[in-house]
Amino acid sequence: MDKRSVLHMLDPMANNSPFDVNMAIDADFDVVVPYSNVKLENVLRLTQDAIFSRSPSGVKRTSIFIGGRDLGLAFDMLNACKQAMVPPFEVSVLADPSGAFTTAAALVACVEKLLRDHHGKELSECNALVFGGTGPVGIATGVIASLAGANTTLTDHLSIETALDVSKVYNSRFGSTLKGTLASSEADKARLVTNADIIFCTAKAGIQILSADVLKEAQKLKVAGDINAVPPLGIEGVKSKDSGVPLVHATNSPGSIGIGALAVGNLKYKLQHELLKLLLSTDKPVYLDFRDAFTKAREILAHSPAK
Amino acid sequence: MEKPFILHMLTTAKNLSPFDVNMAMDAGWVSALPYTNVEISEVQGLVQDAIFSRSPKNLSRTAIFIGGRETKQAMDMLRLAKRSMVPPFEISVFADPSGAFTTAAGMVAAVERELATKFNTTLEGKNILALGGTGPVGQAAAVIASQAGANVRIIGRQLEKAQQVADMCSNEFGDGKITITAGADANKAEFMKTADVVFATGAAGIELLSAELVASAPQLKVAADVNAVPPAGIAGVDAFHNGTPIIGSISGAVGIGALAIGNVKYQAQNRLLKRMIATDKPVYLHFEHAFEVAREYIKASS
Repeated sequence: MDKRSVLHMLDPMANNSPFDVNMAIDADFDVVVPYSNVKLENVLRLTQDAIFSRSPSGVKRTSIFIGGRDLGLAFDMLNACKQAMVPPFEVSVLADPSGAFTTAAALVACVEKLLRDHHGKELSECNALVFGGTGPVGIATGVIASLAGANTTLTDHLSIETALDVSKVYNSRFGSTLKGTLASSEADKARLVTNADIIFCTAKAGIQILSADVLKEAQKLKVAGDINAVPPLGIEGVKSKDSGVPLVHATNSPGSIGIGALAVGNLKYKLQHELLKLLLSTDKPVYLDFRDAFTKAREILAHSPAK
Repeated sequence: MEKPFILHMLTTAKNLSPFDVNMAMDAGWVSALPYTNVEISEVQGLVQDAIFSRSPKNLSRTAIFIGGRETKQAMDMLRLAKRSMVPPFEISVFADPSGAFTTAAGMVAAVERELATKFNTTLEGKNILALGGTGPVGQAAAVIASQAGANVRIIGRQLEKAQQVADMCSNEFGDGKITITAGADANKAEFMKTADVVFATGAAGIELLSAELVASAPQLKVAADVNAVPPAGIAGVDAFHNGTPIIGSISGAVGIGALAIGNVKYQAQNRLLKRMIATDKPVYLHFEHAFEVAREYIKASS
């Protein structure tokens, strides 16, 4: 008989996210076990403990998930897991802190598809602006967009130092070319959007980023995407289920369109589900971060019927 | 394919109670996940995380249990959890801190049964003393009995603390529609002269009522004790008593011990955990519902 599939869920926070727990169980993990308050230095031992109590075939029914809020830490923990493996005792690992990796991957993939379908453009031809750019989803969004070739700027709403620091840290880490800047006032936003081809709204829930007045300043905007599903939504005039709707307030950017949080969320959900399933179905262990999430998101969109 | 049943178990304590975990599994929950040291400020985030990764249809196979040690905290968390739902993304929640709600419900329902079968009467208008009544079980039992029409007095070592707890029970848990009074432990001999029922809900291994006070109580009918660790909370009532006459009682009172109460408690907790599985519409369960199902069980088994 096959051993039951086990997902060890490592989290640096006090508790796991119930969202991820539901997702893991719905992706057919039989048993989900939480490990909370996990520090980076605990990862080696936890991983080796997880791999040595099952035969190599049993190990295939065992995986590790890394949650938390901190992108860099999750990435370090993923690497620590990978280094702790002792072939053939090795298990697959997925990092998706706060769901940020899958949300960011889904957001960028959705925007990329709209850009192609409606404007015939590639990310590499675009200036991208990330509002809420120093939070987990914002950073992952920025890195993915930058690595895909977009000229990407992260904004922070409080401090330019934070924006610059974050850009620098993640550029050196992932080889991206992020810039950082401050976007605290409506005037800041109005100035920044004039030159943006694409805009990602990844700020906290319940905060409007792009008002009608700001959108009016955009001169070459093509696509804007939002991940905030709690009113007021991130982009004025774009409802959460909308996908590819005209940005009616962006009067100086003809043909510009928007996508809302639930439309992005729909792909994020499929994506996280697929990645969790992959942990169980793969023959060779996989180590999945936001880059793999983006590849998979593109695949899912390529195989879904065009609208 | 139908998704597995998932119970997210929140507690303010360092660990869940293994008792509750076993109960959840045995009621049919397939996965029971612990969330520990949960602060009230984290409830909304956890609830919304739990509701947004399943479709409304599969959410009916998802629920939250609230444990912890404190009744008021648990009731606050229950209210907050309910308010955090975003219909149609909503799930059932059941609060039973320290098992106190179901234990209290089991005790009051068992007392009610004895009043009916041995004394042909009800809780209505009965004078009840909740000895050691400032803890979670005492509080919940006082509120349940008071809502059923009894005059309940919470007895504590310090009158001031007992009064605070009584006021909180009346206002917070009883919505101001009941009045629970307080008394000092030092005065319990006086109170025993008019007591019809005694609940002993103090810490394990402490005698709250002496054999002498039990024997001489002129109108005592039922004495219930949740303590299973000797010495008994009420002298002469042992853990196995289940409507057993108390030797020496001049009023012919009967005793109900911890194991008899525990049996009803078990049934009540099991039924509420199952109700969250069976329901189509989300339910928000606490001591009132625990008493409902405890009464149902007693009615069905008599």
